[in-house]
Amino acid sequence: MYGGSSMKARFFAAAALAAVLAVAASTASAKPTAANRAAASKLTVWLQVDAQSGWPNLVAAANQEFESKHPGTNVDVQYQTWPDHLSKFDATLAGGNTPDVIEMGNTEMTKYMAAGAFANLSSQKGSFPNSKNWLKGLAASGIYNGKTFGVPYYAGSRVVTYRTDLFRKAHAKTPTSLAAFTATAKRIAKQNKKRGFSPVYIAGTDWYFAMSFVYDYGGQIATLKRGKWVGQLESKKAQAGLAAYKRFFNAASRASKTGIENRPQPYDVYSQGKAASIVGPAWFSCCVGKKYTKATKQFVMPSHVKGQGMPGFLGGSDLAVPAGSNDKSLAADWIRIFTSTASERGLQAKGNIPNATNLLGNSVNERAAKRSWFVPTAKNWVNVENGNVLRTMLARILTGKASIAQATAFADSNIELTLNQ
Amino acid sequence: MSSSEIPGGTAFAAEAAPRPRRRRPLTFARVLRGAAPYLLIAPVVLTIAAILGYPLYHLARLSFQKYGLFELIARHGTSVGWANYSSVLHDPVFRHVLVRTIVFTVANVALAIGIGTLIALLLTKVSSVVRVLLTAGLVLAWAMPPVVAVQVWLWMTERENGVFNYTLTKLHVGDYFQHDWLATPFSQLSVTTSLIVWGAIPFIVVTVYAGLSQVSHELIEAAEMDGARPWRVFKDVTFPILKPIFLILTSLSIIWDFGVFTQPFLLIDQTRINASNELMGIYLYEEGYVKTDFGRGAAISILMLLIVAVLSIVYVRKMVKTGDEAA
Amino acid sequence: MRARRRRTRFVWDAVGLLLFAVIAFPVYWMIASAFKPDDELNGATPTWFSLHPTVSHFRDAINRPFFWDGVKNSLIVVSVTVALSMVLAFLAAVALAKFRFTGRKAFILLIIGIQMLPQAGLIIPLYVVLARYHQVNALSGVIVTYMTFVLPFSVWVLRGFLLGIPKELEEAAMVDGSSRLGAFSRILLPLVAPGLVATSIFAFITTWNEYIFARVLLNDQSKQTATVWLSYFTGTGRNTDWGGLMAGSTLIAVPVIVFFLIVQRKIGFGLTAGAVRG
Repeated sequence: MYGGSSMKARFFAAAALAAVLAVAASTASAKPTAANRAAASKLTVWLQVDAQSGWPNLVAAANQEFESKHPGTNVDVQYQTWPDHLSKFDATLAGGNTPDVIEMGNTEMTKYMAAGAFANLSSQKGSFPNSKNWLKGLAASGIYNGKTFGVPYYAGSRVVTYRTDLFRKAHAKTPTSLAAFTATAKRIAKQNKKRGFSPVYIAGTDWYFAMSFVYDYGGQIATLKRGKWVGQLESKKAQAGLAAYKRFFNAASRASKTGIENRPQPYDVYSQGKAASIVGPAWFSCCVGKKYTKATKQFVMPSHVKGQGMPGFLGGSDLAVPAGSNDKSLAADWIRIFTSTASERGLQAKGNIPNATNLLGNSVNERAAKRSWFVPTAKNWVNVENGNVLRTMLARILTGKASIAQATAFADSNIELTLNQ
Repeated sequence: MSSSEIPGGTAFAAEAAPRPRRRRPLTFARVLRGAAPYLLIAPVVLTIAAILGYPLYHLARLSFQKYGLFELIARHGTSVGWANYSSVLHDPVFRHVLVRTIVFTVANVALAIGIGTLIALLLTKVSSVVRVLLTAGLVLAWAMPPVVAVQVWLWMTERENGVFNYTLTKLHVGDYFQHDWLATPFSQLSVTTSLIVWGAIPFIVVTVYAGLSQVSHELIEAAEMDGARPWRVFKDVTFPILKPIFLILTSLSIIWDFGVFTQPFLLIDQTRINASNELMGIYLYEEGYVKTDFGRGAAISILMLLIVAVLSIVYVRKMVKTGDEAA
Repeated sequence: MRARRRRTRFVWDAVGLLLFAVIAFPVYWMIASAFKPDDELNGATPTWFSLHPTVSHFRDAINRPFFWDGVKNSLIVVSVTVALSMVLAFLAAVALAKFRFTGRKAFILLIIGIQMLPQAGLIIPLYVVLARYHQVNALSGVIVTYMTFVLPFSVWVLRGFLLGIPKELEEAAMVDGSSRLGAFSRILLPLVAPGLVATSIFAFITTWNEYIFARVLLNDQSKQTATVWLSYFTGTGRNTDWGGLMAGSTLIAVPVIVFFLIVQRKIGFGLTAGAVRG
């Protein structure tokens, strides 16, 4: 009667088969989770992929030590990527299954600390290795309202990577002051007239570099006065720093005045022979190209005051324990093991800056960290960054669309509006 | 042969001339036939309801709450009524973004469907070697992950040594040395359009070409032999048959292009996004997620849904009507 | 007459080849870059065709942790999603195209409405729901998520193809004495096949390249899909391995091409010749 039932049956058979496949797939993936839940307890650690490619042996060593100290607990390290690890963290916060340890960029910490995402580690602070000597800039990023929520992991500073052959041709030694560097840049410009060649390649809106000038001249970005943030870029000292930046840029860089510092990557410009020096993290030396690897060295960006370095932006990572973790003491112990002196020495050997001053060596990267600056520790600071307030200010100053006084006043009001929301 | 003698008493027959009323026994088969459409759509409805039911409810509720990172962690928001909606609707940026996105959508949809249809028609005219080659090229373009495609576009338009600047300068078309293809909002959105249209064309071509296979050769040859020019053949023979497909493609393209996010965001880059080049998808991301204001983000999502519904209502209604006529 | 036909075809072929060159250029650039040594990748002048091609990027990509897991997981997720979705969507499309029933308009509203929602807003609530069903960090959770995104437009597009089938064909099949469903399988299904193929290709590619939901829902790297694996190239805080990224992307595109080759024959031919008699 229903002659076509064979077709219907065929369809349902196909659907059933597909459903079986789905169930098989899900059980294939469900088994390990079930096993994990049933067996020993698990410590979930979120580290960035830099650890997986850079120092996996340090992670393995820490895991081994932890597991032998706490038999019955497995460490599950899940590597994250910078662009979306916060979206994922937000999802786990909403779902109530956060990791037990999470690596956070030092500029990412404040917003989450203010929202109560992390466990208070203040009482255990003394038990973390070298805590008395933690790098000030890095430790500050893990403190909110006087309480410690983050343990410094490692840092990186900014240095100048330069072509020894071109500097030699200009009879230049490592510059010890901003004025000397400017003079060298001018000489190199005269000797290398190729179109688009920069003695010092600096992207116009590289605010990490530009703000170093502000701090070098004694200014700052914003300060907290009686509970309210006040923008300080209009101050005389900050404006002097920005004027010095503009002078240096005009003398040394042929990059776009409105361009950003990672498009194109400075090391690409360098490897194409279009720059005599670049400013950026120390690891830039990895990618200067086969042709110039032998002729590349680094030095600390000099201050306008002779004999000292310009304060450099201290980038880095902290380790925190999400407040919802079930094993807060175990998590803290894992962090203790992973930031031990031996572990930090291992990080240092890979070119990073270790987290404590007593461990600091003499590499260019570490010397540059002696004077450093950090962004205002306001919970809305990331909104200032994402709103490109500083970049817009620099673009207007360099292109001449606004005077330094006008541009800084405008930026300050933006900063105050955003930080005080 | 009267329609009532067709086994199964089809729904087709339902629209025919009124039949003599006959009492029919309520057999299992008849119940099954009546229940057939519901059984057919049940799996889809159940899947969607099970997975998206709560999220949709949650999204709607969220749009009436103040819900930032603090509330996310506490897992509890505070009700603020229509505050989120009114703040978005009163935001002058929102109005500019809306207009800009509508213009952007119209341009992208028109270009994609226009060019895609022409290519689909071309595929019927070329030799099989070229057809295979062109289809292969389209599928390769389709298969490229958007993130990688953005990267290739960035390389091609790179200021320092991108392919475009290099070639145009070498061909002496002008001085494109260090020309920044992503300098102004117009150029940023144009480059974005080229990327999106390039990525959208393959689906249009494949779908239209599949639809063309439903157009019988005989009808076309008959029309051609009547002396009709290609445009008339298309208008009178091909287009009417393809109409449902064009309506679908247009409505889908409007929906997708209105909310597009990945390509413009990666091309323009967070550092250059501002009120003068934001599209709706990016506006949602910035206001809702970068500023971690999930309540506002939810309100913008709902508003986007309503706006897109209004924009595509014409096509959707035509689609539903065409279905009603045929059924 | 013949010569004119050949000349016209020659012109069309030339246009087609030109279009091919323009459309495939970015893909060519990706594949060519995968073979370039590092200094040519970011060289001062673009290298159209490397004279010193290298397979080191491919080797590095394959040796990256969890490459094969990524491919395997993507294949499982995508094939189950596409297979199930095509079946369910086809059934629902038949209901929409061929039946009149109460709630039809509501169903259409649901189908269209879902597609109009920006997906970004659904990530966190969806994660919460799936966590409750224990479907986080499970391929099945990703599969059902993808299905909810694929089903609406699949139903919509397939309905369009079903409507496009001339009524005469259906009625002719009916006159032949076969039952309705018999008519479907023997005459109409092959006619809808091109639409099914087009939709399945779209579903395949969309789910193959989907990123953010897979990223958020899957934790273990051994369970992650190929696109998540690919994101690790650009997710580091240091320099990006462009050669590796291009090689990885090229490798990941291969299953899509294979799938297309398998199903594309259905689009080339349809039962058009002589289908409508009289």
